[in-house]
Amino acid sequence: MKGLWRNAVRISQVLWYKDEQACVFCGEGHGPICLTCRMNYLRPELRRCTRCGKLIESGQLDCLDCLAGRGPKQLDQVTAWGHYSGGMKEFIQRIKFKSQPNLIREISRPFSDWAISQLPVVDGIVAVPMHMSRLAERGFNQAEVIASALHWELGLPILSGVERLESRSSQVLLSRQERLHNLTGAFNVRQPEDYQGKSVWLIDDVTTTGSTLEAVAEALRQCGTKEIYGLCLAAGLEKRLVPLSE
Amino acid sequence: MLFFLTLNKDYDVSFSPFQEKDKLDSRVISYLNVPLPLGIIEDVLERSLKRQLSNQGNPKKKPNEIKNQILNYLNNFEWDIQEIIWKEVNKDFCPDPSLELDQDRKNKNWDAFNQRVLGRQLSKGDLQVLARELRLKDEEIITFAQFNVEQGKAKWLPSVKQINRGWQCQRCGETDLEEWPSIYGSAATCGSCASIGVSTSLTVLYRDKRSLLEGPLNVSFRPHWVLTEAQQRASEQVDAFMKDTYTETALLWAACGAGKTEVCFPAAAWALNQGKSVLFAAPRQDVIHDIAPRLQRDFPDFTVQVLTGTNTVKFQAGGLVLATTHQVLRFWQAFDVIFMDEMDAFPYHGSRALEWGLKNALRQGGKLLYLTATPSQEGLNAVREGEMALIRLPARYHRNPLPVPIWIRSDILSEPNGCRGKWGKQISLLRRQGPVLVFVPKISLVNPWIESFKQTFPGWRIEGSYSSDSGRSIKIKNLKLGQYDIFVSTTILERGITLPGIQIVVLGADHPMFDERALVQMAGRVGRTRENPRGEVIFLSQKMTSAMKTAVQWIEEQNRYALDLGLID
Ligand SMILES: [Zn+2]
Ligand SMILES: [Zn+2]
Ligand SMILES: [Zn+2]
Repeated sequence: MKGLWRNAVRISQVLWYKDEQACVFCGEGHGPICLTCRMNYLRPELRRCTRCGKLIESGQLDCLDCLAGRGPKQLDQVTAWGHYSGGMKEFIQRIKFKSQPNLIREISRPFSDWAISQLPVVDGIVAVPMHMSRLAERGFNQAEVIASALHWELGLPILSGVERLESRSSQVLLSRQERLHNLTGAFNVRQPEDYQGKSVWLIDDVTTTGSTLEAVAEALRQCGTKEIYGLCLAAGLEKRLVPLSE
Repeated sequence: MLFFLTLNKDYDVSFSPFQEKDKLDSRVISYLNVPLPLGIIEDVLERSLKRQLSNQGNPKKKPNEIKNQILNYLNNFEWDIQEIIWKEVNKDFCPDPSLELDQDRKNKNWDAFNQRVLGRQLSKGDLQVLARELRLKDEEIITFAQFNVEQGKAKWLPSVKQINRGWQCQRCGETDLEEWPSIYGSAATCGSCASIGVSTSLTVLYRDKRSLLEGPLNVSFRPHWVLTEAQQRASEQVDAFMKDTYTETALLWAACGAGKTEVCFPAAAWALNQGKSVLFAAPRQDVIHDIAPRLQRDFPDFTVQVLTGTNTVKFQAGGLVLATTHQVLRFWQAFDVIFMDEMDAFPYHGSRALEWGLKNALRQGGKLLYLTATPSQEGLNAVREGEMALIRLPARYHRNPLPVPIWIRSDILSEPNGCRGKWGKQISLLRRQGPVLVFVPKISLVNPWIESFKQTFPGWRIEGSYSSDSGRSIKIKNLKLGQYDIFVSTTILERGITLPGIQIVVLGADHPMFDERALVQMAGRVGRTRENPRGEVIFLSQKMTSAMKTAVQWIEEQNRYALDLGLID
């Protein structure tokens, strides 16, 4: 089943660039991402906090949280393509909550180009696994969808075998339990030897505090993964950058 | 939403959204530990069981055989999910949940839920909205829904079904879906009805089979108007159509501004008193918000459900519903009578999903009446072929004929160059009769023409608007108050607006954007009020298109017909 996404992406690849598409974030400007949306959401003028990926002012290396030691520690670097807001947020939510995973095709080229310009080439790509119950309901893992797009564009292999541990109970009760769930030790690597001495990109759709990436990275470190780079479509903006009116 | 496959003591296979034993049907003896999408479960029921059963003389199998058969079928898929096993239900003294609901007659939430779901088809997201409106937990709402399903009053169905080799959305009928690989194999998402919530082959619909009304009502209908002769005539025909056993659909073709909506009110009152549920539908919410107070005023003791995208209360009760065609997608075989206003307007016209939704909101043997001033080609064809009855309302209530457009030939329209020559004078003449509304075929022409008019007519109050203009609603308010000399607009003001004393100019009337319907609607803005029953309509263009000819023919024919019947003076 895991290979399905890879094949699906390949088959439809030919069709992607066939017409002049509209901007995927605003639906109006010139696609795939118009100049206005690039400025509004991709924010090339801002740095990314090297520890957690948050968008920060270009003067600094790390955000305040990470400087205070509250950020991830197991990752060599974390980065995010854009700011989780407006049209970009809607785009990601359409993929996730409106069950439109095929939308990833519209941005896989520019996102991959950007990713490879920011991070070193690695041995493989790992998607952050989803809760089993949510995966069962949604039918796909958006992180895997993003990983497949990167795999197709960049040729980096996909590494599997990371799973999210949880006890299954009533569907309805689960979401509350999930929130209370401590992430430490929530992930397990089925075949640790696969990751021994490897370098990987760890993929998720959105990062806020970096705690999910950190928990997966911890499990990967334990089986000897050498380099771990977190990569997300979008991240938050450091608070001091947000104007007071917001 | 996922379901647990269940096996009951009669060895019948079924499914439930719950696995807790106090929520399961009391007959259930085993269930599968892993919940599955309903589409997969239906597949299991159809392919693995029915085929087997029909091949054998004795359909009753031992439970273990059935269980193994299902497991074998599911394990063939090699899904990347946990191991599927059967679990046994140990019912030692567990009260049957259905009995509780049934006996608890005082359960107000249960009553409120049932009043609001009659005739509905709802996604899980819709049910969650209902839960919030009733201040209930999601789980309680699902319990209620499941109870109705167990009682045979409703059913769960996959929102998108595999049909032959393709997919079909069960909410809007769309067959052009986006396919993607899910952990259960191929899945599909519907884009056509996505604006009212996600619909995929992994999601479900709760479809309630019950009628909105339990029986005849005693509705007090107190109209605040008297029908004109023309309206009376049409109203009697609508009434006859309602009672006719053979005709299912009819078209009420009315002159612009003839008062077609009120013509239907007596028939609506009759239907409700017969215990027939009634829907007034229209493509756009401004039409709905315009009809709502009129309907409520004439049905003073009756609660009208008003459902549009901007309405805050999404779930209401009652047998008289006023809804946009998008909201109609949340009903299934619910209405005995549907009045569909503006069948030829965007976004309904040309939307397969909305047309399908409207047709499927009608109950078997129900009546569907389309109302329009500008019937679509399909509508006219259906009338011609006898599939649809035709009712005419050719005259306005003030007994004046519809203004017939005048064509002025001009070839400087592609670029605004100021209002030279004959038609510049014409605009000054028009302005003496009333404010001038100028239609242009493209947004990009609005501002250049405003500038051009300002140069030609210094001192005049000149404005304009288009669909994405943020100042639109304020400008339209001012326009209604007569505060402009000239107002330039795209087709956004084509329909449904009454502007006292307005005069119309269509610039570039030969543009392909303007079909005969748009032209008739634009011309129909003139002379709608008793105080200003007349006025001018000018078509300015380089050539006379067939759309322009047809528009003029329609208007002239309407007037001739009205004159023959003695409905205009
Ligand atoms: Zn854009
Ligand atoms: Zn940081
Ligand atoms: Zn649909």
